[in-house]
Amino acid sequence: MSSSTIEAAPSASPIPKRPLYESSTQFRNWRFSPEQLSELRSSLNAAAVAVIRNTLENEKPGSSSVVSFLNAEEEYLLVKLYITKITQLCGLFRFPEDVEATAVSYLKRFYLKNTVMDWHPKNVMLTALFLATKTTNNVISLETYTAHIPNTAPSDVLDLEFLVAQSLGFEFAVWHSHRALWGIILDMQNLPDCPPDIRPIYESALTHLRASRLTDAELIYTPSQIALAAVSLAAPELASQWSMSKFRSDAVESAEQLPGVIESIKALITSAGHPPDIEAVREVDRRLKLCKNPEKIVGSHAYLMKKEQEEKKALAKRSKKADETKQAIKNGDPFGNVLEHESRGLVDYDDDDDEED
Amino acid sequence: MAARVKVGGWLQGKTVRKGGPASTTTTRSSTPQLQSTSSTVFGGGVKDASGRTSEYFSMDDQCPVCKSDRYLNPKLRLLVSACYHKMCESCIDRLFTLGPAPCPICNKVLRKLAFTPQTFEDLGVEKEVAVRRRIAKEFNKRREDFHDLRSYNDYLEEVEDITFNLIHDIDVAQTEARIKAYRAENAALIELNIQREEAYAQALKEQEGAERRERELRAMELRREEEEEREEREKGKREIIDKLETSDANAAKVIAKSRANALKRSSARAASTTVSHSNLLKSRAAQSTAIPDVPHVPLQDDWYAYEDLYGLRSGGYNDFMSEAVRKDREGIMRAGGFRVEEAWERALRSAVAALDLLPLSGANPNAAPTFKLDAGGDVVMASANG
Repeated sequence: MSSSTIEAAPSASPIPKRPLYESSTQFRNWRFSPEQLSELRSSLNAAAVAVIRNTLENEKPGSSSVVSFLNAEEEYLLVKLYITKITQLCGLFRFPEDVEATAVSYLKRFYLKNTVMDWHPKNVMLTALFLATKTTNNVISLETYTAHIPNTAPSDVLDLEFLVAQSLGFEFAVWHSHRALWGIILDMQNLPDCPPDIRPIYESALTHLRASRLTDAELIYTPSQIALAAVSLAAPELASQWSMSKFRSDAVESAEQLPGVIESIKALITSAGHPPDIEAVREVDRRLKLCKNPEKIVGSHAYLMKKEQEEKKALAKRSKKADETKQAIKNGDPFGNVLEHESRGLVDYDDDDDEED
Repeated sequence: MAARVKVGGWLQGKTVRKGGPASTTTTRSSTPQLQSTSSTVFGGGVKDASGRTSEYFSMDDQCPVCKSDRYLNPKLRLLVSACYHKMCESCIDRLFTLGPAPCPICNKVLRKLAFTPQTFEDLGVEKEVAVRRRIAKEFNKRREDFHDLRSYNDYLEEVEDITFNLIHDIDVAQTEARIKAYRAENAALIELNIQREEAYAQALKEQEGAERRERELRAMELRREEEEEREEREKGKREIIDKLETSDANAAKVIAKSRANALKRSSARAASTTVSHSNLLKSRAAQSTAIPDVPHVPLQDDWYAYEDLYGLRSGGYNDFMSEAVRKDREGIMRAGGFRVEEAWERALRSAVAALDLLPLSGANPNAAPTFKLDAGGDVVMASANG
C-alpha cells in the first residue's frame, strides 16, 4: 500500500515515510487476498495433477484413469493436520512460541509453492520445524531432534531443507501475531478500564490466536490485526477501546474500517480455527498414497527413470564443455581469440618487431 | 651509426634562439647561463613552477672528457650534448670554440650551441622527455578527430611506437620517414590543434588574470573602507571637541548625540559595503560552472516506525511474560545487553504496526491501485506493490 493513501506517514514530515511493516518480505511477498489464495492453490493442484497423470501414462498407459487425485481443499486439509502436529512437537520439545509460529508460517508458505502430491507434509513439517528452530535462534542438534521423533532419520530432515528454504525464497523473518498480542496486553494497561489482573484475558486471547494459526489469517491480515481480533474474542469491550485509542486524528477512514476487518478475522477464527476431522484426513492420506508423484518416490520405477534422464543430461553437458575446451586449446588460446576476428583499425602500419619472427 | 648521424638532423638544435647577452657569456663558467640553453629543443629542460629549469647537480660529478671533478673544481658545470654525453664547460670551450667538431666520446659532429643543462640524473630520461616533447608537438590529434575509439587507439599506439623507436634508436631513418609522411598528411589538422591548444592556454591565462584582478580589487576596497572608517572617527572626535568649545550645552549630552550620529553613519556604511560584497560573491558564483552541491546523507532512513502510536510507560508494566527475567538479578537468563524495555518496545511496536493496513481483496488486487466502494459501502483497498 503506497504511503500516499490513508496510511500516510505523519503529515509534519516533508518526505512521506513508508511504514516499517511494508519493508518486510511478509508484506511484499506473502500477503494475499482470499480469492488469490484459492486461485493459487487450485492452479497449483491442476498443474501437479497434469504432470502426475502424464508420468503415470508414460509408465503404464491407461493407469491414470483409475486414480482419483486430490483437489485443492483436500490438500489443504492435510496441511492443516500437520500444522496441529507442529504444535504437538513444540509441546514435546518445549520450544517457545516463536518456533511454533515460525514453523507454521513456513509450512503454509511452502504449500503455496508446492503441492502435497509432490512432497508429503510429514517430512516437510519436520524440516520446517527444524529450520524454524535455527532461524529463531533456538538451536537444537539434529540428533536430539530426530531421536525424539519416532521413525525419523536425520536424512529425512536434511534432504528437504534446501528445497524448503528455496520455496520460502530464503525469506525466514516472520512478523508474528503473538508478539503483537503481548504488546497489546502491555499497552492496554494504560486504559482506565483495564482490570488489575489482565492475565486471564491474555490466556484466552492466546488460545484464539493459536486457533488462528490453523487458518489463512496470517496470509491475508497483518499480525497486529490478528492479535487484536484474538483479544476482541476474549474481551470485546476492552479491545475496541484500545483500538479507538490507537488512531491518529487524520486517519478517520481506516478507523472506521478496522472493526469490519477485525470482525472478519473473528469469523475466520471461529469458523476455520479448529483441527480437521481425523477420519476425513485419514481418507485423504490413503488416497494420496495412490496419487503421489511417482518421480518423487525414492526407489520407484519413475524415480529411477528420472534420475537416469538427469544423469544423461548432466553427462551431455559435461562432454560438451570438455569438447569446447579441447577445441579452444587446439586453436592455441584456451581463452578463445575474439579480437582476431575483428577488423583492424583505419591506421595500419607494419610492426617492425613482427617481421623477424 | 649511420642512423645516428641522420638523427642528428633534428637533434642538433637548429632552431636555437640565443639571447644576446648569452653569446658572450657562455664560455665563462662563472656566469649564469640558463637563459639561453633552456630554450633549445632537444634538452629535457623541465621547467619548474617559476618557469626556470632546475639543473641536476651532484657532489660526484666528474667530466668524462678531462676527468676533473667537483672536488678539484667546485664550480664544475656539466652540460649535455645532442648525442646525450656529458662534458664540463671548459672542455666544451676547448673543443668547440673553433666551430663544429666531433664528440670525443661518440664522434658525432657537435656544435657549441647545442649543449643543454642537465635536468635529470638519468640521461635516458633526458632523451625520452626531449623526444616526447618533440613528438607531442606534431602528433597532437584528439579523440574528437576520430570517428571511433578503435581508430583513436590505433593512432595512439602508432605514436607510442614511433616514440619508442626514436628513444631507442631503432630504424631511425624509417621512423623519420613515417613522421614526415604523417606531417605531410595531417598538416592542416596539426595546425588546427596547435591553435586550439593555444586558445585554451590563452583562456586559462585570461581566467587567472581576471581572478587576480578581482582579488586586488577586493583588497583595495578593504583598504579604502578602513581608511574611511579611520577618517570618520577622526572627524567625530574633532566635531565633539568643536562643539564642546563653541556651544554651552551639557557636555555629556553633546558627546552622546555625536556618538549616536557616528553610529548611524557607520551602520549605513556597513550596509552599503555588505551589499557590494554580496554582489561580488554572487558574480563569482555566476562565473564558476554550476555544480549542484547535494548534501551527503549517510543513512537513508525513510521508514516510519509508528513512534506516534505507542509510548513506553515510565513505571514499567505488570508483565507476567517477562517476570522471571526481571526478577533474575544476576542476569543468568539474560544475554549481554538485554533490557526488558527494549523487548517491551518491540512488542508495542509490533502491536500497532500496520494496524490500519487493509487486507487485499479480489482475484487480482495488484492490478488496480485505487479505491473502490463495494456494495456494503466499505472501501476496498488494493495495492501497487502488495
